[in-house]
Amino acid sequence: MDNSIASYVLQYAGSSLEAGLLLYLGWGRQCKKQRAVFFGLFALLIAGAGRDYTAYQFGLRSPQYFYVYWSTDYLLVISAFLLVWLFFRRACLCEEKMWRYIRLSLGFIFFLVVGISVLSISRNQDHLFTYFTIEFNQNLYFTCLVLNTLLYLLLQQIESTDDQLGLLVCGVGIQFAGPTATLALLHLTSGQHFAESLATSVMRLCTLGMLLVWAYAIVRVRESTIKVTGRRIGEPALLEVTAD
Amino acid sequence: MKNLVVTLLLALLVVLTAVSVRRTVAGNATTVGSPTLMAIGTEPVPLPPPPKPSK
Repeated sequence: MDNSIASYVLQYAGSSLEAGLLLYLGWGRQCKKQRAVFFGLFALLIAGAGRDYTAYQFGLRSPQYFYVYWSTDYLLVISAFLLVWLFFRRACLCEEKMWRYIRLSLGFIFFLVVGISVLSISRNQDHLFTYFTIEFNQNLYFTCLVLNTLLYLLLQQIESTDDQLGLLVCGVGIQFAGPTATLALLHLTSGQHFAESLATSVMRLCTLGMLLVWAYAIVRVRESTIKVTGRRIGEPALLEVTAD
Repeated sequence: MKNLVVTLLLALLVVLTAVSVRRTVAGNATTVGSPTLMAIGTEPVPLPPPPKPSK
Protein backbone atom coordinates (compact mmCIF):
# COMPACT_ATOMS: atom_id res chain seq x y z
CA MET A 1 0.00 0.00 0.00
CA ASP A 2 2.74 2.41 1.06
CA ASN A 3 4.77 1.42 -1.96
CA SER A 4 1.91 2.11 -4.34
CA ILE A 5 1.23 5.51 -2.74
CA ALA A 6 4.91 6.44 -3.03
CA SER A 7 4.86 5.23 -6.64
CA TYR A 8 1.85 7.43 -7.48
CA VAL A 9 3.42 10.42 -5.71
CA LEU A 10 6.62 9.99 -7.73
CA GLN A 11 4.71 9.58 -10.97
CA TYR A 12 2.43 12.58 -10.53
CA ALA A 13 5.17 14.79 -9.07
CA GLY A 14 7.24 14.10 -12.19
CA SER A 15 4.39 14.79 -14.62
CA SER A 16 3.37 17.98 -12.76
CA LEU A 17 6.93 19.28 -12.75
CA GLU A 18 7.33 18.59 -16.47
CA ALA A 19 4.05 20.32 -17.33
CA GLY A 20 4.76 23.23 -14.97
CA LEU A 21 8.22 23.85 -16.39
CA LEU A 22 6.95 23.66 -19.96
CA LEU A 23 4.23 26.19 -19.10
CA TYR A 24 6.79 28.44 -17.39
CA LEU A 25 9.05 28.35 -20.44
CA GLY A 26 6.15 28.93 -22.81
CA TRP A 27 4.62 31.68 -20.68
CA GLY A 28 7.92 33.54 -20.30
CA ARG A 29 8.70 33.07 -24.02
CA GLN A 30 11.95 31.34 -23.17
CA CYS A 31 11.36 28.44 -25.57
CA LYS A 32 13.99 29.71 -28.02
CA LYS A 33 16.59 30.44 -25.35
CA GLN A 34 16.00 27.17 -23.56
CA ARG A 35 15.27 25.03 -26.58
CA ALA A 36 17.34 22.10 -25.26
CA VAL A 37 15.44 22.00 -21.96
CA PHE A 38 12.12 22.58 -23.74
CA PHE A 39 12.84 19.68 -26.08
CA GLY A 40 13.84 17.37 -23.19
CA LEU A 41 10.78 18.24 -21.13
CA PHE A 42 8.47 17.85 -24.12
CA ALA A 43 9.87 14.37 -24.85
CA LEU A 44 9.47 13.36 -21.19
CA LEU A 45 5.89 14.67 -21.06
CA ILE A 46 4.80 12.95 -24.28
CA ALA A 47 6.41 9.64 -23.29
CA GLY A 48 4.89 9.91 -19.79
CA ALA A 49 1.42 10.63 -21.21
CA GLY A 50 1.66 7.57 -23.48
CA ARG A 51 2.78 5.35 -20.60
CA ASP A 52 0.10 6.69 -18.22
CA TYR A 53 -2.63 6.16 -20.79
CA THR A 54 -1.53 2.58 -21.48
CA ALA A 55 -1.22 1.80 -17.77
CA TYR A 56 -4.72 3.24 -17.19
CA GLN A 57 -6.24 1.30 -20.12
CA PHE A 58 -4.51 -2.06 -19.77
CA GLY A 59 -2.90 -2.12 -16.32
CA LEU A 60 0.67 -2.04 -15.11
CA ARG A 61 1.18 -5.79 -15.54
CA SER A 62 -0.12 -5.95 -19.11
CA PRO A 63 2.14 -6.75 -22.09
CA GLN A 64 0.83 -3.56 -23.76
CA TYR A 65 2.29 -1.41 -20.99
CA PHE A 66 5.50 -3.39 -21.17
CA TYR A 67 5.95 -2.72 -24.90
CA VAL A 68 4.84 0.92 -24.73
CA TYR A 69 7.19 1.56 -21.79
CA TRP A 70 10.28 0.22 -23.54
CA SER A 71 9.37 1.75 -26.91
CA THR A 72 8.98 5.19 -25.36
CA ASP A 73 12.21 4.63 -23.45
CA TYR A 74 13.91 4.14 -26.79
CA LEU A 75 12.63 7.59 -27.86
CA LEU A 76 13.64 9.12 -24.52
CA VAL A 77 17.22 7.85 -24.79
CA ILE A 78 17.53 9.32 -28.30
CA SER A 79 16.09 12.60 -26.92
CA ALA A 80 18.68 12.50 -24.13
CA PHE A 81 21.45 12.14 -26.71
CA LEU A 82 20.08 15.14 -28.66
CA LEU A 83 19.79 17.07 -25.39
CA VAL A 84 23.46 16.45 -24.60
CA TRP A 85 24.26 17.49 -28.21
CA LEU A 86 22.38 20.80 -27.71
CA PHE A 87 24.17 21.39 -24.39
CA PHE A 88 27.51 20.88 -26.14
CA ARG A 89 26.40 23.45 -28.75
CA ARG A 90 25.53 25.94 -26.02
CA ALA A 91 28.84 25.36 -24.22
CA CYS A 92 30.79 25.95 -27.45
CA LEU A 93 28.94 29.13 -28.56
CA CYS A 94 32.22 31.08 -28.57
CA GLU A 95 34.39 28.15 -29.63
CA GLU A 96 33.36 27.57 -33.22
CA LYS A 97 36.49 25.60 -34.12
CA MET A 98 36.04 23.29 -31.15
CA TRP A 99 32.36 22.86 -31.97
CA ARG A 100 33.18 21.62 -35.49
CA TYR A 101 35.25 18.75 -34.02
CA ILE A 102 32.73 17.98 -31.29
CA ARG A 103 29.87 17.90 -33.81
CA LEU A 104 31.77 15.47 -35.98
CA SER A 105 32.67 13.30 -32.97
CA LEU A 106 29.04 13.23 -31.79
CA GLY A 107 27.94 12.07 -35.23
CA PHE A 108 30.57 9.31 -35.25
CA ILE A 109 29.57 8.29 -31.72
CA PHE A 110 25.92 7.86 -32.70
CA PHE A 111 26.79 5.73 -35.73
CA LEU A 112 29.25 3.64 -33.71
CA VAL A 113 26.56 2.92 -31.09
CA VAL A 114 24.12 1.95 -33.86
CA GLY A 115 26.82 -0.25 -35.45
CA ILE A 116 27.72 -2.06 -32.22
CA SER A 117 24.03 -2.61 -31.40
CA VAL A 118 23.22 -3.93 -34.90
CA LEU A 119 26.17 -6.36 -34.67
CA SER A 120 24.76 -7.72 -31.43
CA ILE A 121 21.19 -7.84 -32.76
CA SER A 122 22.23 -9.74 -35.88
CA ARG A 123 23.28 -12.65 -33.64
CA ASN A 124 19.87 -12.77 -31.94
CA GLN A 125 17.28 -12.27 -34.65
CA ASP A 126 14.66 -14.42 -32.91
CA HIS A 127 14.09 -11.84 -30.17
CA LEU A 128 14.48 -8.66 -32.18
CA PHE A 129 12.50 -6.32 -29.91
CA THR A 130 14.15 -7.60 -26.74
CA TYR A 131 17.68 -7.36 -28.02
CA PHE A 132 17.11 -4.08 -29.81
CA THR A 133 15.75 -2.58 -26.58
CA ILE A 134 18.57 -3.97 -24.50
CA GLU A 135 21.47 -3.28 -26.79
CA PHE A 136 20.65 0.05 -28.39
CA ASN A 137 18.91 1.68 -25.41
CA GLN A 138 21.51 0.60 -22.89
CA ASN A 139 24.51 1.40 -25.07
CA LEU A 140 23.16 4.87 -25.87
CA TYR A 141 22.23 5.43 -22.22
CA PHE A 142 25.79 4.76 -21.03
CA THR A 143 27.20 6.78 -23.94
CA CYS A 144 25.11 9.75 -22.76
CA LEU A 145 26.56 9.21 -19.27
CA VAL A 146 30.12 9.41 -20.60
CA LEU A 147 29.32 12.37 -22.87
CA ASN A 148 27.66 14.29 -20.05
CA THR A 149 30.71 13.75 -17.85
CA LEU A 150 32.95 14.99 -20.68
CA LEU A 151 30.68 18.03 -21.12
CA TYR A 152 31.01 18.86 -17.43
CA LEU A 153 34.80 18.59 -17.69
CA LEU A 154 34.73 20.78 -20.81
CA LEU A 155 32.76 23.46 -18.94
CA GLN A 156 35.44 23.46 -16.23
CA GLN A 157 38.23 23.52 -18.80
CA ILE A 158 36.91 26.51 -20.75
CA GLU A 159 35.93 28.21 -17.46
CA SER A 160 32.38 28.74 -18.64
CA THR A 161 30.52 31.63 -17.06
CA ASP A 162 27.14 30.10 -17.90
CA ASP A 163 26.08 28.96 -14.41
CA GLN A 164 22.68 27.92 -15.66
CA LEU A 165 24.20 25.51 -18.19
CA GLY A 166 26.41 24.08 -15.43
CA LEU A 167 23.34 23.32 -13.30
CA LEU A 168 21.41 21.87 -16.25
CA VAL A 169 24.35 19.54 -16.99
CA CYS A 170 24.46 18.54 -13.30
CA GLY A 171 20.75 17.71 -13.52
CA VAL A 172 21.38 15.39 -16.48
CA GLY A 173 24.29 13.95 -14.49
CA ILE A 174 21.88 12.97 -11.69
CA GLN A 175 19.66 11.21 -14.23
CA PHE A 176 22.51 9.12 -15.62
CA ALA A 177 25.01 8.73 -12.78
CA GLY A 178 22.52 7.95 -9.96
CA PRO A 179 21.15 4.71 -11.45
CA THR A 180 24.65 3.70 -12.58
CA ALA A 181 25.94 4.05 -9.02
CA THR A 182 23.01 1.94 -7.79
CA LEU A 183 23.80 -0.71 -10.38
CA ALA A 184 27.38 -0.75 -9.16
CA LEU A 185 26.00 -1.33 -5.63
CA LEU A 186 23.81 -4.13 -6.99
CA HIS A 187 26.87 -5.66 -8.62
CA LEU A 188 28.88 -5.42 -5.39
CA THR A 189 26.12 -6.94 -3.25
CA SER A 190 25.66 -9.79 -5.77
CA GLY A 191 22.02 -8.89 -6.51
CA GLN A 192 20.61 -8.81 -2.98
CA HIS A 193 16.86 -8.16 -2.82
CA PHE A 194 17.13 -4.73 -1.14
CA ALA A 195 19.59 -3.56 -3.82
CA GLU A 196 17.25 -4.76 -6.61
CA SER A 197 14.28 -2.84 -5.20
CA LEU A 198 16.53 0.17 -4.65
CA ALA A 199 17.68 0.08 -8.27
CA THR A 200 14.16 0.43 -9.71
CA SER A 201 13.20 3.21 -7.25
CA VAL A 202 16.41 5.15 -7.77
CA MET A 203 15.86 5.39 -11.54
CA ARG A 204 12.56 7.19 -10.98
CA LEU A 205 13.91 9.30 -8.12
CA CYS A 206 16.83 10.42 -10.28
CA THR A 207 14.48 11.61 -13.05
CA LEU A 208 12.61 13.61 -10.41
CA GLY A 209 15.93 14.94 -9.09
CA MET A 210 16.91 16.07 -12.57
CA LEU A 211 13.59 17.89 -12.99
CA LEU A 212 14.01 19.64 -9.63
CA VAL A 213 17.53 20.80 -10.49
CA TRP A 214 16.29 22.02 -13.88
CA ALA A 215 13.43 23.89 -12.20
CA TYR A 216 15.89 25.63 -9.89
CA ALA A 217 18.24 26.42 -12.78
CA ILE A 218 15.50 27.87 -14.98
CA VAL A 219 13.58 29.81 -12.36
CA ARG A 220 16.35 31.01 -10.05
CA VAL A 221 19.58 31.15 -12.04
CA ARG A 222 19.82 33.70 -14.79
CA GLU A 223 21.37 32.72 -18.07
CA SER A 224 24.66 34.45 -18.86
CA THR A 225 24.85 35.86 -22.34
CA ILE A 226 28.11 36.57 -24.04
CA LYS A 227 28.24 39.62 -26.24
CA VAL A 228 31.10 40.41 -28.56
CA THR A 229 31.71 44.14 -28.33
CA GLY A 230 34.06 46.71 -29.81
CA ARG A 231 35.79 44.36 -32.18
CA ARG A 232 38.04 45.64 -34.95
CA ILE A 233 39.41 43.66 -37.83
CA GLY A 234 42.57 41.81 -36.82
CA GLU A 235 41.99 42.28 -33.09
CA PRO A 236 40.84 39.54 -30.74
CA ALA A 237 37.21 39.70 -29.69
CA LEU A 238 36.47 41.52 -26.43
CA LEU A 239 34.01 39.48 -24.50
CA GLU A 240 31.52 41.03 -22.17
CA VAL A 241 29.56 38.74 -19.91
CA THR A 242 26.22 40.00 -18.74
CA ALA A 243 23.17 38.51 -17.11
CA ASP A 244 19.71 38.91 -18.67
CA MET B 1 42.47 14.17 -42.68
CA LYS B 2 44.46 14.02 -39.44
CA ASN B 3 41.66 15.80 -37.59
CA LEU B 4 39.11 13.37 -38.98
CA VAL B 5 41.11 10.42 -37.67
CA VAL B 6 41.47 12.10 -34.27
CA THR B 7 37.72 12.73 -33.99
CA LEU B 8 37.00 9.15 -35.06
CA LEU B 9 39.41 7.85 -32.41
CA LEU B 10 37.82 10.09 -29.80
CA ALA B 11 34.37 8.79 -30.75
CA LEU B 12 35.61 5.21 -30.55
CA LEU B 13 37.12 5.88 -27.13
CA VAL B 14 33.84 7.32 -25.83
CA VAL B 15 31.77 4.40 -27.13
CA LEU B 16 34.20 1.78 -25.82
CA THR B 17 34.24 3.51 -22.41
CA ALA B 18 30.43 3.51 -22.36
CA VAL B 19 30.20 -0.17 -23.30
CA SER B 20 32.88 -1.07 -20.72
CA VAL B 21 31.06 0.83 -17.96
CA ARG B 22 27.84 -0.92 -18.97
CA ARG B 23 29.43 -4.37 -18.92
CA THR B 24 31.05 -3.63 -15.55
CA VAL B 25 28.04 -2.35 -13.64
CA ALA B 26 25.14 -3.97 -15.47
CA GLY B 27 26.79 -7.24 -16.52
CA ASN B 28 25.33 -9.12 -19.46
CA ALA B 29 21.64 -8.40 -18.98
CA THR B 30 19.76 -10.64 -21.37
CA THR B 31 16.14 -10.12 -20.36
CA VAL B 32 14.00 -6.98 -20.60
CA GLY B 33 12.62 -6.14 -17.17
CA SER B 34 15.79 -7.18 -15.38
CA PRO B 35 16.66 -4.77 -12.53
CA THR B 36 20.00 -4.07 -14.22
CA LEU B 37 18.33 -2.27 -17.14
CA MET B 38 18.27 1.51 -17.19
CA ALA B 39 15.22 3.57 -18.12
CA ILE B 40 14.24 7.25 -18.09
CA GLY B 41 11.04 8.60 -16.55
CA THR B 42 9.07 8.65 -13.30
CA GLU B 43 6.59 5.97 -14.39
CA PRO B 44 6.82 2.51 -12.78
CA VAL B 45 9.08 0.04 -14.58
CA PRO B 46 6.94 -2.82 -16.00
CA LEU B 47 7.45 -6.43 -15.11
CA PRO B 48 8.43 -8.72 -17.99
CA PRO B 49 5.44 -10.43 -19.64
CA PRO B 50 4.89 -14.08 -18.67
CA PRO B 51 6.69 -16.57 -20.91
CA LYS B 52 4.66 -18.18 -23.70
CA PRO B 53 3.56 -21.74 -22.89
CA SER B 54 5.64 -24.31 -24.72
CA LYS B 55 3.83 -26.34 -27.38
